[in-house]
Amino acid sequence: MSYTPLPPVPEEFKVLSMMNNIGAVSPERSLSPDELSQWTEIDSPTIITHLQKLRENGYVELVEISGTQKFHLTRAGIMKVLTLYS
Amino acid sequence: MLLSVEEAGDDLRVAMITWEYPPRIVGGIARHCEGLAKALVNQGHEVHVFTLDFPGAPDYEEQGGIRIYRTRSEVGHPNFLTWVLLFNHYIEKRMADTSRLVNFDVIHVHDWLTAPASIGFKHFSKKPLVFTAHSTEHGRSGLHIPDSFTIDGLEWWSTYEANKVIVTSGSMKGEVCGHFGLSDNKVEIVPNGIDAGRYDGQVDKGAVRARYGIQPHERFILCVGRLVPQKGIEYLLHAVPIVARRRPEAKFIIVGDGWYRDHLEWVANTTGHRWRITFTGFIPDWDLVALTKSADVLVVPSIYEPFGIVALEGMAAGVPVVATQVGGLTEFVEHDRTGVLTYSRNPESIAWGIDHVLSNPGHAEWLVKNAREVVQKTYSWEAIAKRTGKVYKEIAERREQP
Repeated sequence: MSYTPLPPVPEEFKVLSMMNNIGAVSPERSLSPDELSQWTEIDSPTIITHLQKLRENGYVELVEISGTQKFHLTRAGIMKVLTLYS
Repeated sequence: MLLSVEEAGDDLRVAMITWEYPPRIVGGIARHCEGLAKALVNQGHEVHVFTLDFPGAPDYEEQGGIRIYRTRSEVGHPNFLTWVLLFNHYIEKRMADTSRLVNFDVIHVHDWLTAPASIGFKHFSKKPLVFTAHSTEHGRSGLHIPDSFTIDGLEWWSTYEANKVIVTSGSMKGEVCGHFGLSDNKVEIVPNGIDAGRYDGQVDKGAVRARYGIQPHERFILCVGRLVPQKGIEYLLHAVPIVARRRPEAKFIIVGDGWYRDHLEWVANTTGHRWRITFTGFIPDWDLVALTKSADVLVVPSIYEPFGIVALEGMAAGVPVVATQVGGLTEFVEHDRTGVLTYSRNPESIAWGIDHVLSNPGHAEWLVKNAREVVQKTYSWEAIAKRTGKVYKEIAERREQP
């Protein structure tokens, strides 16, 4: 099979992938944008922009825990992530 | 009391390990494992499925006699391969715990993602291991990045440790034997199966089509798959303007999701026919069945396809299939008899295939009739489970010999 260079994996996808790998897949394991920023080494404002887009598309869900907004993957988010590895 | 294989008779206790099992569905593996497990249970075997957790699904349940253990990885890690090793550790623990109560006869692992747990459990339990290679990293992505080399190494390790390797097509057998240097007699071809009964019910095609914005006079071309490069969907998108020139009433529905979706939507935007193309994302199973039954053509434009179960699903659903001439697809889509084969990476050829089917409704009906016969005769889960059970029995008996 000849090799055609592929476009890079979108950065918001890297956020989804990281959330899957570290286990942010249920409300009680949700993470704040600051925590996600630390894990992904993407700055907080960019993370928030990505999370907004991911939420609009149904891939992450927002929960509020002790006044802090936290995010976890939805079923669709998990399934989307897994396409990278399957 | 734990019985040996000979004492237990023909019925075997199978530990099936897979990283995806319904409702955790990514590609074809989840459906493959579910179909196989159901049919094995129907044939008297005892099947224990070890898999990963999924939101809303219980940690343990029994479904029609299949015992399903969903394991949560208690520790995660941002690095993908480390995460894989971690969940393998938790799956292996669960299997070891279960083996105190169940004396498994055979371990059957699907793809490399759960191979470390299965190989560890093989040595712990001293039971034979079957490895189904649904695809290879070499074929999926090429070996261009360090992670791919690691995955390729894990796949080689799995084939090395396995007592028997199952592949789903002759094309995959060639790939696996050649790439991993396996002897011919270590690798068994057992194709994918299908539950044709899923497609038996009646659907109100008009209502289904209307729900997806298809007018009665329009023809709709369906494509289903993970939105990843190897599915070749961009070549179908490049075929859209060519089809539209011949068939102004054509509409295209792309079902599925994946990391490549943004790029594919960008390609769709460049065709000048974006309004003809709908990306649905993932849709529920019942809706997929209804949509498939309502389509005028199902296109499988893959550039790499070890088997291509989506084509078989189209054949079972009674929709004419246009598929590229790659891998396992060529082993059940017989050109102009059970479907239409086109060149891969070739929008002109794909467009020709679509037009060939739409222009000849009588011929399309004949293709559908032939395709259904092939599906029922060769690809029922009952037939596939019998062949798989024979592989189990063979390696389990070999183990029993002094």
